[in-house]
Formats: sequence, C-alpha cells, structure tokens
Amino acid sequence: MRILAKEDGGIVSLKVIIPHPNESGTRKDESGKVVPAYFIREGSVLLNGQPLFELQLGPSVSKDPFLQFRFAGKKGDRLNLRFIDSRKLEYVAEAAVV
Amino acid sequence: MKRRTFLERSSMAAALVLLRPSTLAAAWSENHFQQVSIEKAFLDVLGTKDFNRSSRITIAAPPVASDSSAVPVEISSTIKGDQLYLFVEKNITPLVFSCALHGGALPFLSLTVKMKESSLLYGVVREGGKYHMASVHVDVAVQAC
Repeated sequence: MRILAKEDGGIVSLKVIIPHPNESGTRKDESGKVVPAYFIREGSVLLNGQPLFELQLGPSVSKDPFLQFRFAGKKGDRLNLRFIDSRKLEYVAEAAVV
Repeated sequence: MKRRTFLERSSMAAALVLLRPSTLAAAWSENHFQQVSIEKAFLDVLGTKDFNRSSRITIAAPPVASDSSAVPVEISSTIKGDQLYLFVEKNITPLVFSCALHGGALPFLSLTVKMKESSLLYGVVREGGKYHMASVHVDVAVQAC
C-alpha cells in the first residue's frame, strides 16, 4: 500500500493505492473459466488513534484500488490505515501528514 | 493529481506494509453486497428507495468512460453527513462502497470503479438518519468487466 497525506489550508488530502487483483468473481479468464472473487472488503483510517473513516467495499471497486479522502487536520498528524480483503489478509500502513 | 503522476511520484513516503491473517471477526455486511437490482440494493442498504434529490451532492465522473475497468468517480457534498454511499445501477453488485465519517472527516471520497455497462451512478449522503441523493450517467465505450 502506498499513501500520501498532504495538508493545505487546514484540509488534508489523503491518497491511497492498494496493489490488489480485486477480482469481482464475474470475470472470465482466457480459457473461459470464471476467476474466483477476491477483493478488498473493509478499510479504516485512524487520525492520531481516533476513527476517521470506516469503509466497506464491494467487488465493483477496480483492480489496484486508488482512493482519495479529505479531512480537517494539520502537518505531523499520525495516520493509521488498515484494509482487509476477502481472504482476511490485512494491509496496514502508517504515515504522518506533510 | 492524476493516478499515473501519483504512482510515479518518487518523493512519496514509502508506507509500512504488513501482510498477516486478520484475527478480528469480519464486520463486512455481506447482505449489502448481493447481486440484486438497484431498488433491492437501496432497500437492503438504506432501508428505503425514496430519497430527496440534492444539489448539494456532486458526483464527478467522465461522461464517457474509455476504460470501464477503472472509472474515476468522486463524490463530494456540502451536507455535513455521517455516511457516504456509491451505487452503480447496472453493475451485478450495485453497492460500490459505504463509508462512515467520524471527527474531522469531510464528505468526500474518490475511487476507481469497475462498470459492466453504461449506467447511472448514485451518490448518497446520510445526515442524521435522512438520505440525500444525486446521480450522473456514465457511458461505457468498451465493456471490460
């Protein structure tokens, strides 16, 4: 996962890319077989340890999801991100607002 | 910032990434992400299919999507909502995401969405138990779902 959080005028813009196949379960491969569903289902963003965003995601999100959020914050604020996919694998990242 | 620019930005802080099985019980609402009609999805997720249309919600999306496997969609609102939703009417699973907003979180979310075919997109903002909605139409040039 790659994240970037930039503050401008008291508003932080948070950009997140999660490399993930995010298969919807409806796509067929070259041989015509359905590729099993495998996608990111849950996400959370904590700001200085407090909940900020809590997400539930479905199979309609693209491959390698690119998400952008906005919130009130300042430089140096701590962000903790956690995403969980349909195989219960966790993707965790932390960063400071710049 | 364009996605490509973002990917290529070398100064971006490398994030700590861990991969491990989750020990927490899943809170994912399976019943919200079923293969149903848009009306049924509204009822399942929001408990209603009648909303106020609001000019205070903006959905930014390309009118014609050249790549339907990753259509950039942005919802923003001046309503001080506590929950955001995005639905794609013609997708097999209409609900794309639901997002709870806490503290200083602003009602803004941008993400890349798969689209099965040309469709209406519905953005919904919940404010104190009331739902507000806006929609846009996106044409899909080539199917890639």
